[in-house]
Amino acid sequence: MTTLAPVRAPILRLLRSELRWIYRRPRTLILLGLLALYPILFGIGTQVVDAPVRANGDQSVVAAVAGNAMMLPVIVLSTTMVFFLPLGTTMTASDALAGEASHGTLRGLLLAPVSRIRLLAVKAFGVAVVSAGAAVMTALIAFVTGLIIAGPDSLVTFSGTTLPLADGLWRVVVATGWVIVQMWAIGAIALAVSAATEHPLLVMASVIGGLFVFGLLSSIPVLDWLHPFLITESWDSIVDVLRDPMPWENLTTGFLRALCYIVIGYSLALARMVTKDS
Amino acid sequence: MNTKKTALAVAGAGVLAGVVGLGILAVPAGADEPPPVLPSITAEQLVESVANAKIPALNGKVSAQENLGLPIKVLDGMNSATVWADGQNRFRATVPGRTSERTLVEDGGTLWTWDSQKNTVTKHSHGQQATPENLAGKDPATLGKDLLGLVRQYSDVKVDGTARVATRPAYELVVTPKPTERTLLREVRVAVDSETRLPLRLQVLANGQADPALKVEFTELTVGPQDAKLFQFTPPQGATVKERTDAGKPHNEAEGRKGLQDFVSGLNLQTVGDGWDTTFVAKLPGDLNSMLGQARGDGNGKARDMDVTSLLKSFGKEVSGPYGTGYVFSTKVATALVTTDGRVAVGAVPEQVLVEALGQVK
Repeated sequence: MTTLAPVRAPILRLLRSELRWIYRRPRTLILLGLLALYPILFGIGTQVVDAPVRANGDQSVVAAVAGNAMMLPVIVLSTTMVFFLPLGTTMTASDALAGEASHGTLRGLLLAPVSRIRLLAVKAFGVAVVSAGAAVMTALIAFVTGLIIAGPDSLVTFSGTTLPLADGLWRVVVATGWVIVQMWAIGAIALAVSAATEHPLLVMASVIGGLFVFGLLSSIPVLDWLHPFLITESWDSIVDVLRDPMPWENLTTGFLRALCYIVIGYSLALARMVTKDS
Repeated sequence: MNTKKTALAVAGAGVLAGVVGLGILAVPAGADEPPPVLPSITAEQLVESVANAKIPALNGKVSAQENLGLPIKVLDGMNSATVWADGQNRFRATVPGRTSERTLVEDGGTLWTWDSQKNTVTKHSHGQQATPENLAGKDPATLGKDLLGLVRQYSDVKVDGTARVATRPAYELVVTPKPTERTLLREVRVAVDSETRLPLRLQVLANGQADPALKVEFTELTVGPQDAKLFQFTPPQGATVKERTDAGKPHNEAEGRKGLQDFVSGLNLQTVGDGWDTTFVAKLPGDLNSMLGQARGDGNGKARDMDVTSLLKSFGKEVSGPYGTGYVFSTKVATALVTTDGRVAVGAVPEQVLVEALGQVK
């Protein structure tokens, strides 16, 4: 550091401009639009499909789902968290560093009067905001859709108990928060890959492809020693918030596992950033 | 550059911490605990105290594993049922599915079962008769003694050290078949909680197998008062409620029992041998080929139009002997022999004993 250190740019301004960049990209908006439509279509679709089934006095799993303002958001989150939410997260992370590198704009940023650690922090903030925002939006729309379809007195759990609205909302909040942390873990890994390459598509391919490989590995019983290391291992347990009393055990393990991934991802990203040639 | 080195050191430490963290999450807690030291107890005392024990207020997780050597796992869905008891004969149990749950609530007068997948509640009002004391209809202590006496005729029963099940200290009660018994089973182990005298774990071990063929155990257990709300159930809005009451039951039950008796007498069920060697021998109505014809005859559509013989062949091993030809199905704990002329022998014994049993029944 020289004594002529340039004036640091205010961090809030950096964060704001990063978010402006992300939310101006058409692909971000398109993905968010699809995510907003998904719960509505899911809710209405299952109602339509379910009508003839229920006339027979029987009800499928999916059917029970849509008739419930608590189940709909959780099931919608559990289905979006395996593809759409990681896709949005990875897309943002790949644009954040690899995208800039492929446009040649990262060089400018690396030379700018912003330390590389701060640059990584700004990029990480952008990814975190996008994934959290997408999850909250999806859950909220699903909750409202469920309320409109089924009303506030229908918050039936898997265990057959009926919860008051506040409790039901709390369960949805827990599920959303939990999904956000899982997406932050994906974002951390994606950002580490993004820091290591100049090809944004490689980030997408490796992270989304990696998730599919994880899914495959977790279905091979011989590899059961490996399963607890896979982040996808606890993703099924998001539906535990629909059980009463709520079993916290698997959710807690999944949360801690995601934290480990976040620490590993950002450590690797940091190592790559400080050793990167400008 | 100093910041660079610091940043790299932090990053390295971070990766290490993350990987170690994942490793810790992967290791099951409390795996290598030494067996607890407990005051010694005789098998008689232990069995009597189990028979006298009352189920206290508790909540826990029960898992069941089998290693029977069957082509499919029969207990696959059953690896983490959760149970609650309030100490006054009210119970709750849930069996979670991947995106569903079955719940069973015994509230003292009514047994509720709930299936979230079918959105159905079954209500069974039974009054106060479902308590274990009433079911046994006998002084529990005598019952324990009688049972122990019966088991001792064919087996050695002893307390074999201690164990820790769901972090609770327990006595291991071991039932071993006498050397003269020709069974596939090596021993049956029951871990009994030292404090509440609840059976915490049941293991059935077969000959030549290190892992238990069947294991049912508490993986978690907390003894203490439970929320009274757990032992109540109100059918949720929109669910189908099916009611079963005792009023109509004796009639149905008698009818059902008669049907079962007819079926059993039709089967000509006999037992051969005693103790661990007990073999059940039955004669199916008709031989395999005529049964095949029946299946074809009352089959509605092609679904039931299957070849019984080829089905038997695919699951069993074709054998022949003094009984003619047949098919043997072997698992780790039991063997079944079906002959082509429609005789069936089943027991926790090797194939040879089944063949002898078939020879004794004409």
